[in-house]
Amino acid sequence: MDPVLVIQSLISGVMMGMVYALLGVGFSLTWGVMHVIHISHAVFGLLGAYFAYTLLTLYGVDPVVSAMVSTPLLFIVACAVYQVLIRPLTKAREMVVASMILTFGLAIILENLLVLVWKADPRLLTPSYASESWIIGPFYLQYPHLIGFALSLVGISSLYVFLKKTTTGMAVRAAWQNQEAARLYGVNLFRISMITFALAVSTAGAGGISLALLYSFEPHSHNLWLIYLFLVVIVGGVGNVIGTALAGLIIGVITGLSMAFLPYQWVNLITFGLLMVFLIFRPHGLFGEVG
Amino acid sequence: MLEIDGLTVAYGKMTALRDVSMAIRADDMVALLGGNGAGKSTLLNTISGLVQPEKGEIRWQGQSLRGLGPDIICSLGIIQVPEGRKLFPAMTVEENLLMGAYLPAARKVRRQSLDWVYSHMPHLAQRRRQRAGSLSGGEQQMVAIGRALMARPRLLMLDEPSLGLSPRASAEVFAIVSNLNREGMTTIIVSQEVQETLSITSYAYVMENGGIALHGPSAALREDPEIKKSYLGL
Ligand SMILES: Nc1ncnc2c1ncn2[C@@H]1O[C@H](COP(=O)(O)OP(=O)(O)OP(=O)(O)O)[C@@H](O)[C@H]1O
Ligand SMILES: [Mg+2]
Repeated sequence: MDPVLVIQSLISGVMMGMVYALLGVGFSLTWGVMHVIHISHAVFGLLGAYFAYTLLTLYGVDPVVSAMVSTPLLFIVACAVYQVLIRPLTKAREMVVASMILTFGLAIILENLLVLVWKADPRLLTPSYASESWIIGPFYLQYPHLIGFALSLVGISSLYVFLKKTTTGMAVRAAWQNQEAARLYGVNLFRISMITFALAVSTAGAGGISLALLYSFEPHSHNLWLIYLFLVVIVGGVGNVIGTALAGLIIGVITGLSMAFLPYQWVNLITFGLLMVFLIFRPHGLFGEVG
Repeated sequence: MLEIDGLTVAYGKMTALRDVSMAIRADDMVALLGGNGAGKSTLLNTISGLVQPEKGEIRWQGQSLRGLGPDIICSLGIIQVPEGRKLFPAMTVEENLLMGAYLPAARKVRRQSLDWVYSHMPHLAQRRRQRAGSLSGGEQQMVAIGRALMARPRLLMLDEPSLGLSPRASAEVFAIVSNLNREGMTTIIVSQEVQETLSITSYAYVMENGGIALHGPSAALREDPEIKKSYLGL
């Protein structure tokens, strides 16, 4: 094996992994705090990607700027989605199953809307610096990848700081560790759930933009993204932010290496084999459930 | 201070409380006794607003609590230390305490409250950065009581605070609770440790099958041989 190629694919793996991590953290939070397995999570990522694509092709807006605009916009959209669709589910006896079915339907509807508006062709985010790279010795770091990586890192760090340092973030963690106690001390579960859901969806938008800087995307890309999300959350532990971030990196590196050295059809075989192994042997992930 | 009048509560078809009435005056320390499944926790949870009653009324300083949620009831100063402690296990001791001061009024004075709690429970101060889930049972109970104090209670309701503790930790819990009451904290305490509880309380209610089977001054209940035998298992 060529060591330069190994290190080069490690680097791509870490970049990819950071993006999976950002998408995964929100998915994991909704799952852990609200008991909602949000199947349309990655579609909101695609929504972010198409938003950035449109602004870029029509007005030349940089994807980073689009991410900063899409985040608050998606936050508001997600609050509405929560109130209209998710909140009524709290009455359902099997919240987890009900939420999966409902958001699966939502994913299909949104995917078809994406096809209607943007057609089914694959798209690529190509900002002006798309073909430039940062070259260090024998290694090269493509600018779009670097920016996607940085965007994800900022997203994850902000979520982490929010959860650890703010009163509302603390209430989110409390609600997921013991709902009844959180309610006893004044936490309004509906409000906390809405904020959690909206944060997850809005960071998914930024994650989608980051991912679109790395790969091309099309309206059904979210299906594959979703499977990666399950993988990241199951390896990292439901609701565990640091664990999810590390799991994203690990999976990114594994995918990066297998992409470089194995025929393409092996890549998914390996990643999803890994998913099975985890479900069987470490269902609570490498790092435990809460963090 | 707190009056309960004809309270009836059901979980689905099962009636858990029937026609419960009681009254607690300011500065009182009242015992709530009774066997497993008698309805003690249900009564506290109904007062806290976690469970809504089917019939009857709870009044706090003359004002009805009907339909109010747990956040409003918490902000009125009616604070519960729940059965089984229900800490936030992955959060530190101090974060658990701060969660007690989550609502705005309590949050404003949370620094003073922290000092106050640490002065009552000095060894919590040494453990402030430790994960709550890693503490011993006795220490966890102290955190649970401390968290409640952070909410600035005017009525403190403790649900089996000594359950599962060593005799020493249990004695410590009782000492802290009666000390708080001596400083003027109105308290309801649910406990299976009948003798101990009757000795620190002034009045007691005994529940059976979702209803109040009898009530009276704690000292009188402790003396009455008939009552001791049939209700208190002594
Ligand atoms: N959430 C619930 N749903 C359905 N039934 C419940 C629920 N909580 C309690 N019960 C039932 O209500 C009755 C009263 O329970 P409760 O917990 O209030 O009793 P308790 O006096 O606190 O008992 P213990 O000493 O065991 O704590 C029991 O029969 C119990 O099984
Ligand atoms: Mg009980």
